[in-house]
Amino acid sequence: MDHFKERSTRYYRQTPLFTKEELAEREFKCVHEEPAFCYAACPMKLDGRAFCAHIQKGDFTSARAMLERVTPFPLILASGCSGPCGEKCRLAEIGDSVDMPALERAALRLGAPKAGKGLFKIKKKKSCAVFGADLFSLILAAELDRKSYPTSFYVSESSPEEIFEKYAPFLEGDDLNTELKRLTSSDIKIYFDSALSKEFFDETKGNFDVICASAKFRDALGFGSPDDITLVCAGTSLISSSDSCRDVLGACFDARRAAVSADRLAQGLDPSNMRGEEGPIVSRLYTNLKNVLPSSRVPEDEGYTAEKAVEEASRCIQCKCEECIDSCVYLQYHKKYPKILTREIYNNVDIIMGDHMMNKAINTCSLCGQCKIVCPNGYDVAEICLKARENMVSVDKMSLAYHEFALLDMLFSNGEAFLAKPQPGFERCRYVFFPGCQAGAIAPESVEKAYKDLCSRLPGGVGLVLGCCAAIAKWAGRTALHDEATAQLKKALESLGDPVIIAGCPTCMKMLSEDIGGEIKGIWEVLNETGLPEGSAKLGRKIILHDSCSARGDVPMQDEVRALAESLGCDLVETELSRDMTSCCGYGGLVSNVNKDLARKMAENTASDTSLPYLTYCMACRDNFAKIGRESMHILELVYDSPAHDCPGISEKRKNRLELKNRLLKEIWNEDVIEMTYDFKIDFTDEAKKQMEDRMILDTDIYALIDNFRNTGSGMIESATGKINSCVRIGNVTFWAWFTESGENEYTVTTCYSHRMTIETR
Amino acid sequence: MSEVKSFYEVDPKGQFICHKCGIPLVKSDAVFGYLNNAFPVEMPVCPKCGFVYVPEDLALGKVLQVEKVLEDK
Repeated sequence: MDHFKERSTRYYRQTPLFTKEELAEREFKCVHEEPAFCYAACPMKLDGRAFCAHIQKGDFTSARAMLERVTPFPLILASGCSGPCGEKCRLAEIGDSVDMPALERAALRLGAPKAGKGLFKIKKKKSCAVFGADLFSLILAAELDRKSYPTSFYVSESSPEEIFEKYAPFLEGDDLNTELKRLTSSDIKIYFDSALSKEFFDETKGNFDVICASAKFRDALGFGSPDDITLVCAGTSLISSSDSCRDVLGACFDARRAAVSADRLAQGLDPSNMRGEEGPIVSRLYTNLKNVLPSSRVPEDEGYTAEKAVEEASRCIQCKCEECIDSCVYLQYHKKYPKILTREIYNNVDIIMGDHMMNKAINTCSLCGQCKIVCPNGYDVAEICLKARENMVSVDKMSLAYHEFALLDMLFSNGEAFLAKPQPGFERCRYVFFPGCQAGAIAPESVEKAYKDLCSRLPGGVGLVLGCCAAIAKWAGRTALHDEATAQLKKALESLGDPVIIAGCPTCMKMLSEDIGGEIKGIWEVLNETGLPEGSAKLGRKIILHDSCSARGDVPMQDEVRALAESLGCDLVETELSRDMTSCCGYGGLVSNVNKDLARKMAENTASDTSLPYLTYCMACRDNFAKIGRESMHILELVYDSPAHDCPGISEKRKNRLELKNRLLKEIWNEDVIEMTYDFKIDFTDEAKKQMEDRMILDTDIYALIDNFRNTGSGMIESATGKINSCVRIGNVTFWAWFTESGENEYTVTTCYSHRMTIETR
Repeated sequence: MSEVKSFYEVDPKGQFICHKCGIPLVKSDAVFGYLNNAFPVEMPVCPKCGFVYVPEDLALGKVLQVEKVLEDK
């Protein structure tokens, strides 16, 4: 199978990433959009979080407008609100809850009233009547008026003042006058001194489409209790308040529900139709109180001043769940929380023609799995991104450009640089050392010393396998390539007698456990059992132990590494990112192949402490930390006292792996190695070296380019400078270089660049 | 889909000489291709052997830009 054949954008195929149920199951786990606890507890659905946010900014007018939206008589609500949100406020768990009723009162006093009369509303054709006054019917009449129903309000009282005196006696002074004005300036037709009798009701009700009554008048009419949800009395279309309506909040809530029933009845619908979510609900929101200090309410005394109200509102912690976003650089970078991200990835995969806007998001997750640990519900973004990659590869929608370099690097590890040998003198080995491709690339000396040490101290023979565990193919979503690499490893291990694998890399250990099985140990475990070799380093200083993301959830591995580090004299410092909370260094998931800046940000976030060195047990972490200027070392560098050199570049990493293989073949197995050489020499200027590193161009690519130039003569000379430009197509990439002939069979390369497009003349 | 168009002057000073044929490159039609899409462009081409010179700023500019757009199609 040709894994490196470029796809065609004119080839349309698509398979769903998840079923609707699978998508819903994942999305349900994310509680970011859940309402705040105060909002969930409030029957009137006042969003306390947004309300406090306005007051925190000193914007009392917006806060007042929120209250005016939830009820037609906000001062009645604010004066009599029992504040059920207080019980559910997360602050109540550690101190006092936010005093919402006091803030409501402050907002109404300090905020400016709505300017103007608002939009002109055309009255509805259906009309409503409300019989009998009580707090519920007063508010209901106003609710119906707000809904533009021509509303008639029949009361036995003689004046608005009398209504308020009887049913809202808690209102005084300015508050009373404001609410009185609100009632009298409304379009409600109030019929004072009405004789509220059954005869009057029977005579009048025929004039209206919707009939409502106070609880007292309903009882006088002899109607039974209304339905708990619709508030419509059984067998009739009369709307009345529920029996449980005993306080101001209850009256406001019932009036709102009654107005919804009035709407349904006016439309000729069943009043239980499409009512949506009413009343208090249970919020699944998660709020982390770890960094929240307990605090007490600011006393209201005679009412908050603006400063006091701001002080009280500032106690609100603005409950929201952003555990994953706070921890994950990837989510911060894409500015999306998992639920939205998942939906967009799902839609991205579904696109048959057009731009796949989420490809970069899919390909820049480091697949480290930290989100699953920090999320209170275990949301696994990595699983979704990996599945999306596999899906897009399976239907040929994933461009090779994203991961081709890494995949070719894996093929190099499992091709030219691959080695599988038993210890000399053994046909079958009890153990096999699998250091991992990055160890050979970054610290080949440590690998060599480790292998020789294991051979000398473990009985039964120790084989050696130098290669890639296939993590690269897995991360790229290339399952076929992953299966081929796994099959190759299985075959190699079989030839060594299926020995116990001693892994030198946590990712290899995880991959081999999943793909191959059998007994697998980390080298740290083996070294703890056998003891340290002679000549190991004694560090004797403070050092931060960075856990590999592949060790997440593997407590025995984390413990073994700590034990080994302590035996090396390390004074280990644990951080917030220790053990299962660890985050990625930027190597995982092939992020750096897609977005180098993001990979760097990941490394900077993970190794944020600049004062102490970092100890790692994954060579990629060690390398990535060193790249951002942190002092970092792999534990094997300490065990074998062989510090790795400065961060090797992409070409040097390949060279190191090949040289390690060839050196071991010569030294340990006495095998002659034929090394490929060219009959010319290339010098790269510093600028060219930097370009090659940034543009992912290997020195072998440039050697091939000049070799091609020497064989074909194809190229171009710039007559003014004498510089030569030539190119060569290798696989899916055309490499270009500017160079000069600096001597016989010697070239100096000054510029390198590449593109993936093909070019031909017509 | 915007096409790659000629946006620079092809060898205004006649300095580019084909290494193999020893003659100057001339402005000629060439076709860039990627992921089964083709874009005709005027490029410096050797009239004899057909060597096409792609300058660095074109490769890392417009060509890269079009590649990225197509990769996400």
